[in-house]
Amino acid sequence: MNPFYSVTDKQDTRQAQRLNSTTIAVLTIYGLVVLMIFGSRLVSPSLGGISQLMNVLYLSSFLVICAFGQGLVILVRGLDLSVASMITLGGVLSTTFMQGTNEGLYFIIPGILLISALVGVISGLGVTHLSIPPFIMTMAMGLIVYSVCLGFTEGTPRGFPAPMLNAFMQNKVLGVALPILLMLVFILIFTILQSYSAFGRKLNAVGNNPDAANIAGIAVKRMTISAYAISAACSALAGVLLAAYANGATLRMGDDYLLPSIAAVVVGGSSILGGRGSFLGTVGGALLLTTLSSMLSALGVGQGWKTILEGIVILVALIMLREQIFTGLQSMLKKPN
Amino acid sequence: MTIKKMADSGLMIMVIYLIIFAIYAAVQPSALSAYSIQGLFNNSLPLMLAAAGATFVILQGGFDLSVAGTISLVNSIVAVLQFDGAIGAVGILGIALTVGILVGAINGFVVAYLKIQAIAATLATMIICQGIALLILRAPGGYVSDFMAYELTGSVLEVPVSIIVAFLVAMLWFVFRRTNAGRNLLAIGQDAKASELSGIDVARTKFFSFIWAGAFYALAAYFLAAQTSTGSPSAGEPFLLLTFAAVALGGTAFGGGRGGVTASLLGAATLVLMQKFLFSIGVSSFYTGMVQGLIMILAVLFSGAVQFVVDKRNIT
Repeated sequence: MNPFYSVTDKQDTRQAQRLNSTTIAVLTIYGLVVLMIFGSRLVSPSLGGISQLMNVLYLSSFLVICAFGQGLVILVRGLDLSVASMITLGGVLSTTFMQGTNEGLYFIIPGILLISALVGVISGLGVTHLSIPPFIMTMAMGLIVYSVCLGFTEGTPRGFPAPMLNAFMQNKVLGVALPILLMLVFILIFTILQSYSAFGRKLNAVGNNPDAANIAGIAVKRMTISAYAISAACSALAGVLLAAYANGATLRMGDDYLLPSIAAVVVGGSSILGGRGSFLGTVGGALLLTTLSSMLSALGVGQGWKTILEGIVILVALIMLREQIFTGLQSMLKKPN
Repeated sequence: MTIKKMADSGLMIMVIYLIIFAIYAAVQPSALSAYSIQGLFNNSLPLMLAAAGATFVILQGGFDLSVAGTISLVNSIVAVLQFDGAIGAVGILGIALTVGILVGAINGFVVAYLKIQAIAATLATMIICQGIALLILRAPGGYVSDFMAYELTGSVLEVPVSIIVAFLVAMLWFVFRRTNAGRNLLAIGQDAKASELSGIDVARTKFFSFIWAGAFYALAAYFLAAQTSTGSPSAGEPFLLLTFAAVALGGTAFGGGRGGVTASLLGAATLVLMQKFLFSIGVSSFYTGMVQGLIMILAVLFSGAVQFVVDKRNIT
């Protein structure tokens, strides 16, 4: 047999296995989310309804947006620790520029996204061209951005988001809050972007093997930088929305999103080493974490136990989602054949 | 002495520290008084110990986010234990170390034997520890005995206790890195596969690196309680980023294999000194984060440049 054929064959099955394990992981997570939302009715009759589902979707929209950027950075073997500061930057810039009026809203938001993307480009440049470890680079950028926000606002962010944004956060269309619809559009576009577009495939290739990607003619450094830029812009967008939701920015508004953004990505079945991950999985991870936390709050569980349970869920998800388990499962399923 | 040895022994960071200290002392002459030196070291010690612990994990190529959770947890435990006097302080130290080692053992087991990525696994244990800390101590407060608050932050024979502790840690590392365990730790960081093939028990070495880390985080939390004479269930949060900044400043390579605990101790001390120095020359506290961020990037670039020079010499 021609040896070249056997090589292609092998790669094909590997691809199939990988798809399989990702699909199983994603399905498991969504199954858990559904189970938790509707199962919570057993614990308390006030839970488990459509309104609670909507609430969870609403609250998770912020996390979904920043977790997408985090997922892209993790996909290219990085880690973005500047998420919290970029959320703060987005919030502070939006309230400062909008000053509670709708004037100029249409260039302020793109402007904020552009500024934050530039910050992401700087992080990306540090990682790719100066070979600074990603988490050091993003952590340092985060510190710098945070301290600029702190100095710029002198400790207390002033101003208010545009009324139009406030209305956007509160209004509903056919009983569904607009941010949820925005999130659905976001998920649709970015699933295509990450998994089915040439851009996404290139990012996957870079994460899988940068050297091979380079040989294949992919501009590895440029792709990596764009992942950091997108992540920074996503976090800033989440910051703008959060400021509109809370009707004002605070300097610590991003703190609750840094670790959950990483957790959502890894719970969603992406490898923290890069090269493997799907945005739908990340969305599932974000939904799972938000559902868990809102369910535990609704049940009146104290902050301590709530935090412990969240940690345990992440740990269990990690242990369950190990690749060996899937390959083990597959070999078990294959044996009878 | 070659450049590489200088970088590894922490000589470089020591020089940086002394330069900053000299400028600081020139700007603020009162910095040289015994009282303010003691205060400076008392402030630095918790971060120094945390950075020392994280170095053990980073040297083998791992990563440990649980530093924040472990410090919060142990700090809370120390603050609820009401043991007085010297014997009480020793008893609390024992309990603190036990808890730290236990957290380290869990981390080590999950990472080394269940083969879960270190960042993800320690993220989970960190969150769990923070939760337990909240159960133990609901709000900042608690009780720290007078012995801990005064004697452990005081001096023995004119030498501040904090300097003695830091010196002992440096000595411990000096001995440890010459033992088989220490050599294995660095070997794994340099090339885990080659170490495995040459008969080093990689999983075991990784496991113990997390145990060392846990013990040092516990020590950091213990001295933090003594220094602030109070406890807090979120005491560890500021340590998360600063610890890695300190390790980076010390020149330890992320990815493992190069660096040392002594350098991290000095890196942490430099970070704290820098804060004091920036404050003393009137830089608004708003912007200290900016300077810290820039210094972190420069430190890593500098350490990378040293490595580049070393590699080039080795090849030619």
